[in-house]
Amino acid sequence: MKIMWSQGAHSPETRPGGGHWIYNPFVLLVLRLVLAAVFVYAAVHKIGRPLAFADEIHTYGVVDYGPPLYVMAIVLPWLELLCGLSLLTGVFIRGSALVLLGLNAMFLAVIAKKTAGFMHIGTPFMKVYFDCGCGFGSTYAWKKLLEDAVYLVIAAALLAAPLHTFTIRFRRRSS
Amino acid sequence: MKLLKSALLQAIVILAAALVVGFTFNALSRNGINPLKSPAKVPVAADSAQAGAEGIKIVTLDEARQAVESGVPVIDARRKADYDDGHIPKAMLLDYYDMGTYKDKVLARLSNDQTIMVYCSELSCDDSELLAKELYSLGFTKLLLFKGGFAEWSAAGLPVERSAQ
Repeated sequence: MKIMWSQGAHSPETRPGGGHWIYNPFVLLVLRLVLAAVFVYAAVHKIGRPLAFADEIHTYGVVDYGPPLYVMAIVLPWLELLCGLSLLTGVFIRGSALVLLGLNAMFLAVIAKKTAGFMHIGTPFMKVYFDCGCGFGSTYAWKKLLEDAVYLVIAAALLAAPLHTFTIRFRRRSS
Repeated sequence: MKLLKSALLQAIVILAAALVVGFTFNALSRNGINPLKSPAKVPVAADSAQAGAEGIKIVTLDEARQAVESGVPVIDARRKADYDDGHIPKAMLLDYYDMGTYKDKVLARLSNDQTIMVYCSELSCDDSELLAKELYSLGFTKLLLFKGGFAEWSAAGLPVERSAQ
């Protein structure tokens, strides 16, 4: 097995093209690196403090204290880190994109639920402000929702892209 | 369809790797947690109960002051920087989010039959309550929870101790 630095080789299951500007190799590379940086940063902030992260998840009122919450607090930061590293190196890009698509959809749903809770007690949407526990401190809910929607779109584009370049590929040495 | 199938397989591998690495790191980390732990069922002592009753009793500022004056051990659940800036006299630091660093040192100075008072920053912080539940599960069953925390204590002009820098 040999590690190859590919700059455009087509994997057997992919076809070049797609036509859309978003599938330009350099656009895809930038999107990958942006998403990688965001999730590596977010993960590093949470790793090693599972108890605090469990409390942060608990504030969303979706999962109560107990094994499911603690398992999430232990595994989620590592899932984010592995996805970030995968996007950085180009190994398993589509798998990471799929995981991040799911995670961002989940984040959007719980942040929207929490925002709705604030609006229910009279806070205007644009004024809802809280720490989402994402590792970036307190922010306006609309900004966080917008950010996560952008990450969701990037993950979807990476998943759907017909070809990824600048990746590390594992190839069997032909005998 | 083929791309989606390969993405799904890759996602499963990444998820499995995250589970393995996450649990291994958690087992080796000094701040690791027991993921199978259920929330502690802690009896809340009645308001009328005296200090020393089994369970967690929420105390007022006045009761907290009396407890400190009578020598009840006090635990500060905040972060070290906040503790260093000022704390209730003789309080021991046990940062709830960095238990691994302080737990052994602090608990060695306490016995299970003692009444212990716990506090954190202010009414809105729940670290003291979470720490009290943790202490209860460790066998310290006579707990006073001062919910007003350091903010109420210092605002009342009561004595404050600062850590030597």
